[in-house]
Amino acid sequence: MIKYIVATLLLGAVAGYVNGNWGSAVAGTWVSSYLFDSSLMLLLFVMGLVFGMDKDSTAKMRRTGLKILAVPLAVALGSITGGVVSSFVLGINMVAATAVSAGYGWYTLAGPMAGQLFGPEWGALGFAANFSRELLTILTISLMVKVDKYAPVALGGATSMDTTLPVIVRYCGSDMLITAFSSGFTLSLIAPITIITIATLG
Amino acid sequence: MFGYVLRGRKRTDLSKATFGVIIVLIFSLGFGIGGNSELLAALPRVGLDAVVIALLAMLFSVVFVVAARKAVGLK
Repeated sequence: MIKYIVATLLLGAVAGYVNGNWGSAVAGTWVSSYLFDSSLMLLLFVMGLVFGMDKDSTAKMRRTGLKILAVPLAVALGSITGGVVSSFVLGINMVAATAVSAGYGWYTLAGPMAGQLFGPEWGALGFAANFSRELLTILTISLMVKVDKYAPVALGGATSMDTTLPVIVRYCGSDMLITAFSSGFTLSLIAPITIITIATLG
Repeated sequence: MFGYVLRGRKRTDLSKATFGVIIVLIFSLGFGIGGNSELLAALPRVGLDAVVIALLAMLFSVVFVVAARKAVGLK
């Protein structure tokens, strides 16, 4: 999956670069706004559809009850703390750094949102930081699962409902599927809200 | 909600459709990055910051989750 994502991203970047530098065959905003927005909306719809259709996941979620929500909330607090600490370590704007870390690994959301809120350079950082989180999650799962069974879910953040889910289930066992999915799902829901909330604080 | 209404009917494998949409999404994202020269110039500078933010966010997430799951008694 990650191979295709990296390849597609590079292909898109090359296409955008060529289009931008040698006669704009396509209006850049059409691709980066309309195509992006519509595919994101479609993706969110499909995610909701899959979740609603799955009897097991909704039933298990009811059984475990609200306790399961402690995981995504801890990930959210941990990521925000990480953002605050990294702003001190790197000597960069605390509000923007924290907003970037509140993408919880969802780079397709955090990149454009940070770009819109804080300028294109923060957009690049928002994208790169959250993309790094996904890559580093996949690379460190086999080690971190030895620290704690829940550690891979914490690492994955919002990605634990889709891209990193197969890897998490492989190392943690299928009983972690619901925890990982619901954590990623909750974080995906709260990511746009927390990014905007943090931005308005600044 | 639409999915809830449809449940129990023929199971459709939506992962392929989702993957297709993700690819379109990633492509349009890459397109936006490639077409933005200011952003491209910033990328080499933000690389290290990005990894530091990612690693610290991951570290604190693990610490908080381990503490939280012990606090609420998740097995």
